[in-house]
Amino acid sequence: MARPAIRHTRREFLKTSAALAAGAGATLPFAAPAVGQRPKLVYWCYQFLKSSDDARMNFAQEWAKKNNVDLQVTLVPLKEFLPKITAAIEAKATPDIVESNAVELRGRGQLLDVTDIYQKLEKTYGGWVGNAHKFMLEPDRRVHHIMFGFQGFMLMTRDDLIREAGLTPPPATWVDMLAYAKKAQKLPRVFGLGIPVSNQTDSQVWEDMMKSYGARLADGAGKRVILGDHKKEVWEFLDYFTDVWKSGVLPPGVTTWDNTMNNSTFQSGKVVFILNPITLSLWLEENNPELLAKTGHYTYPRGPKELVHPVTFGSRAILKYTKVPELAKQFLWDSMEPGKMDREYSVSQWGPVLKAYLPFDVWKKKPFMKGLVEMSLRGEPQGWPDVFNDAWREQFTNTTISRMLQRLVVDNWSRDKAFVETLDTLNRIYAKYA
Amino acid sequence: MAITQRSATVVVPVGAAPRGARRLPWFRREALEGIGLLTPTALILFGLVLYPFFYAIWLAFTDKAVGSPGSFVGLANFRYVLGAPQFSAALVNTAVLTVSAVAIKFVLGMAVAVVLNQQIRGRNFFRAFLLLPWVMPAFVVYLVWRWLYDPLSGLINYGLLDLGLIGSPIAFLSDRSTAMASVIVAHCWRAFPFFAISFLAGMQTIPQEMYDAAQVDGAARWQQFRHITLPSLYHIIGVVLMLSTIWTANAFEPVYLLTGGGPSDATVVYTLLAYQMGMVNMRLGEAAAVSMLFLPLLVGLILVVTSLLQRRAH
Repeated sequence: MARPAIRHTRREFLKTSAALAAGAGATLPFAAPAVGQRPKLVYWCYQFLKSSDDARMNFAQEWAKKNNVDLQVTLVPLKEFLPKITAAIEAKATPDIVESNAVELRGRGQLLDVTDIYQKLEKTYGGWVGNAHKFMLEPDRRVHHIMFGFQGFMLMTRDDLIREAGLTPPPATWVDMLAYAKKAQKLPRVFGLGIPVSNQTDSQVWEDMMKSYGARLADGAGKRVILGDHKKEVWEFLDYFTDVWKSGVLPPGVTTWDNTMNNSTFQSGKVVFILNPITLSLWLEENNPELLAKTGHYTYPRGPKELVHPVTFGSRAILKYTKVPELAKQFLWDSMEPGKMDREYSVSQWGPVLKAYLPFDVWKKKPFMKGLVEMSLRGEPQGWPDVFNDAWREQFTNTTISRMLQRLVVDNWSRDKAFVETLDTLNRIYAKYA
Repeated sequence: MAITQRSATVVVPVGAAPRGARRLPWFRREALEGIGLLTPTALILFGLVLYPFFYAIWLAFTDKAVGSPGSFVGLANFRYVLGAPQFSAALVNTAVLTVSAVAIKFVLGMAVAVVLNQQIRGRNFFRAFLLLPWVMPAFVVYLVWRWLYDPLSGLINYGLLDLGLIGSPIAFLSDRSTAMASVIVAHCWRAFPFFAISFLAGMQTIPQEMYDAAQVDGAARWQQFRHITLPSLYHIIGVVLMLSTIWTANAFEPVYLLTGGGPSDATVVYTLLAYQMGMVNMRLGEAAAVSMLFLPLLVGLILVVTSLLQRRAH
């Protein structure tokens, strides 16, 4: 008795389900026309400083509302960007627009050509500031990402402690910086230099220092490693580094610091000098204005040969897989509008990229923001005087130069041994991209 | 119930079969039925385990980078990885971390399980409390440990300095001689509750009469533990050790969050190396080659653990 009843019920169930599904399918296009018509845009927003992130997020939301776009915004911290975008590309589930410094994606042919937006911005807003064009223009004059701000490390100093020690900030050279640090530090509470010598990318400021001694990683084409030809300059730099290490100005633990530890050490008043973006100053402005008042912001000190002060940047790019390229380009264009950028710069760590942004009041209102304009006008692309390419980037993320320094002070290797290993690593990396 | 269903499948087709159709012999029908039942499982197994596994092997022989299809490059990735300065360090460190951490967790877990198996006051509270490190998110645990180890503001250094045991702060994570040990301690703290709870569960299934009888025969506590508790737990120990060996060898967070593989290459492990090559440098072929090169080590470790335990159990 039970079996026929079950069979009957199942059939009934199937019939009813099919009827319902057909009915729902037939009525869906009429039931929600608005959903069907609204284009969808997925935007990965760079996450770093909350006030700045909020400003960009809010603009994006307002823009989406105004343009009737179904916008999905995701905040992605810089450190997670590469793993996430790697997974997204491989899973073929990419966002339409990303905020990053995008170069690694450009090199791998993942970005849409936005030369038209670049040219339109240049024409409309009086041209690009400083070396911004070098960051975007490729050898074939094409552009794949639009910069919205310069960002870079500055020398941040405890001017109060330096003056207490009878010195005048800022130090002019790296050697002066060490001398200042030795004199101004108050051990064991306050150390001279808060610079990591670890496997994190912030440690690569040592590479900039090494280059200011005249060393170069690769030739002018960025293809062949020539560090071996600069052994004399490297040795001079290593003399300097050894002095730094032995003088006790570095706090204990710098060989495993991550990219936040220099910030937190400065925030807690435990170091005289750090090299950091002004995000720290923006944090101090809200949370510790007293310490901010004692803090100076300067360009890098010089090396014996030259001043090497490369800067990084924030930019937006469109993934080539987007189904709404014109809409994404519209977003890129609208997001550079001067009124919007004025509001955004006042709460951000970015320096100006277009000449129309230079007259903004924000650069005059806050003393530490003046340094940003100077940096934007003079800053050279990351890696400079080497060529910023995939090979340079891989050696940078591998913290090659910092690893060489760690071989000396952690593993007690001889200079020659550490240098040979570094050359070998560089050669192997550059050979892959030659 | 099973019989009813089985008879139904036999009876219904016979009645419905067209005249003249050949009836399959029973063993064929059983075989078809078996294949039908196994197919979904086989498909899932293939899709979720075998395909990714063989795809990873294939990747290791290609120059696959993010966004590019990749082409066959033979053993180039293996040559590159084997030549990387961090590779040999990662090999040694992975083995050291796995063997030491599993051993410590085993001893610690067993000791705690034995204590919590006694009639002690607040036993239920301690049993619940025990799980705390294991249920906390890994990144929280390791960030707390990083702060504890910090030479400038860490609690451990404060304590040692206050007690006069050291004259100046120790950079636990930044000194080659203490970095790996510090990582192991933090990892063991987080992971030993799994051992303790598993052993405790096993101990509770051992009949009390066995201990009573041993006591009557004059067996001391240690002898009871050695001749009753341990043999009764062999299968649980086997499973726990095997799982823990796999988890520890694949552990990424402790090293990534505590030391980033440093100082120098003192704590770099193979998962960190694969992450660096695959996710940071976007060279998936090289990352796959790292994993493939470490596969024999992992399989070897697991085989050693399981064979040792099986021998003991028999």
